[in-house]
Amino acid sequence: MAAVPAILARDLHRSFGTVRAVAGVDLAVRPGSVTALIGPNGSGKTTLLLILAGLLVPDHGSVLVAGADPASSATARSRIGWMPDAFGTWDSLTAFEVLTTMAGAYRLGPEQGRDRAWELLKTVHLEDLATAPAHTLSRGQKQRLGMARALINSPDVLLLDEPASGLDPRSRIEMRSLLRALAAAGTTVLISSHVLAELDEMVDDAVFLSRGHTVTAEQLRAGAATRRWRLRSLDGPALQRWAFEARITLVPDTDAPDGAGSVLVDLTDDAAAAALLAAAVGAGVPVVSLAPVSGLLEQAYLSLDTDRR
Amino acid sequence: MTTTFTVPLEPSGPGGGSPAPDTAAPAISWQGVRTIAVLELRQRIRSTRWRVALAVWFALVGLVSVLIGGAFASLGGDPKWAFGLVLMFVLGLGLVVAPTLASTAINGDRNAGTLAILQVTLLSPADIAVGKLLAGWAAALAFLAVSLPFLIWSALLGGTTVGGFSLSLTVLALMLGVVCAIGLGFSALTARTAGSSVLTYIAVASLTVLTPILFVLTFPAVTTTEQVVVYGATQEPTAGDDSYECTNFTAEREVSHTERTWWLLAINPFVILADTGAQPGLDPEDSGPFEAIRAATNEMRNGPPEVVQECWWESQAPPTFDDGAPIWPWGLGANLLLGAAGLAVAIRRLKVPYRTLPGGTRVA
Repeated sequence: MAAVPAILARDLHRSFGTVRAVAGVDLAVRPGSVTALIGPNGSGKTTLLLILAGLLVPDHGSVLVAGADPASSATARSRIGWMPDAFGTWDSLTAFEVLTTMAGAYRLGPEQGRDRAWELLKTVHLEDLATAPAHTLSRGQKQRLGMARALINSPDVLLLDEPASGLDPRSRIEMRSLLRALAAAGTTVLISSHVLAELDEMVDDAVFLSRGHTVTAEQLRAGAATRRWRLRSLDGPALQRWAFEARITLVPDTDAPDGAGSVLVDLTDDAAAAALLAAAVGAGVPVVSLAPVSGLLEQAYLSLDTDRR
Repeated sequence: MTTTFTVPLEPSGPGGGSPAPDTAAPAISWQGVRTIAVLELRQRIRSTRWRVALAVWFALVGLVSVLIGGAFASLGGDPKWAFGLVLMFVLGLGLVVAPTLASTAINGDRNAGTLAILQVTLLSPADIAVGKLLAGWAAALAFLAVSLPFLIWSALLGGTTVGGFSLSLTVLALMLGVVCAIGLGFSALTARTAGSSVLTYIAVASLTVLTPILFVLTFPAVTTTEQVVVYGATQEPTAGDDSYECTNFTAEREVSHTERTWWLLAINPFVILADTGAQPGLDPEDSGPFEAIRAATNEMRNGPPEVVQECWWESQAPPTFDDGAPIWPWGLGANLLLGAAGLAVAIRRLKVPYRTLPGGTRVA
């Protein structure tokens, strides 16, 4: 790894009583990347983010975020933005006041704080609701306000715990482009989410957590694993005949609503998919579509031999 | 799978630049305190509950003041008592209201999920705790301000001076601040808001109700039979002679060492406030309730006299102690220490990162 990681954790452990929430996390997040933190419920994602945000002391191990120890350093604090999975709002404050309060908490001057608050309200498309009390905001709007709040100090490292929950599809797309824009500007984003299909489209790397420890750190874009694709055709028997002749192994698609017309096939990469499609069309099979069954992350997630807690 | 890092674990900029100098956050800053205080006050002022509470308070203090004033006017009593009674009523009401103003400040925010987002910022624990205390105290002072017209009105009836009036009000304001600080401490200690409210009320009740009860209950414990110097008649008068001879002699008498327990009275907010209103140098016998309370407390503070007076028919020697000495600096000092302890607990419990979590709580 060439650049110094923006987030570096080594052999982190943290227990609450007898519950070992984090038990051996190794993590290195590239600066300027969007990295997904993926794991089943109770796998230690939130605890890990709390340690990275400087709210919890690890029992063991070392952490560096934005080049400093978040547990003891004001420098690290000023460089970290954190959005918890569940948070409240100061109900009687307006959206604008929520942000200026946070600006004050990060020691921005009043003028600077107001400018930053406006800028962020526009970024998360809440400028129309700037003077609305926070309790009148919908769940998704609160979520967007929470995102703006985490960005108030222009952090180098952004820690997001389930930021997409409660967002409508449009807001999700906007969040995706916002995070990509932040990453392009050099911000490092670590994001935990359950909506894997969405992460698939925006993350550079993924870290998988299971039972409190990192399972594998995958470089998704570089990875070229065999994926399962769904091939749909108007003529099921014709498809079967062609596959038999071309010696392609088809797997029955039990999930599909249209039965025989849809089959599954394992392919090594996109080139193989293109070749298969060309061959099938060339052989006169009326192909409707060929698409991956699941996202890369979902596939990796499901392939993890972990059980839910 | 274990990953081995080849990167040195040394602080350096995110881009691999030169190590940034780590400026330690100040322990407390005016900007931080103001940010929190403004946040808290904004939330409080905007709730309608708050306005209703102030209105009810105004009506209640007004009603009681008018009743007290009217009672003195119709019964022809000494109007000097009016100010004392109104002041005590405002204190009593204040001690009921003040615990609600700060006793849920920290655990309430933690439960609402609005505490951790402030703790991750550059705000120090002291910023948050002092800001919340100032906001709670300011709210308590608003109640005091609302009762000011009635306090001034009753003061104009007599019984106090401008200096005494301002001292009483200052001490009353400080006592309300102490209650807020105690409440803040409990709100940092307990996970549930109901728990901290109850504990704060228990603390206030202990100061106001429990202390005199304890004083009375410990009275037998500090009362002993000792050899003391008595000034009195040693023998029966001889027949035909009515004069008694009074001399000093040593005898066994029951004495109460209240100098060991007088502080139970001195830390009582009502005693403290009464004492601030006492006029120095006035004869307790023909002055208001304040002077009487001060004289009685001073008597307890001095304990048994060195010489027990039993020579009733001679003119009393002046007391060997100064029964006009102010009590309130002691009581206020002790209460301020309690408040400081509450604040210190709050600051300590707000420190992040957490090593251990308070029972039953989550960080966020």
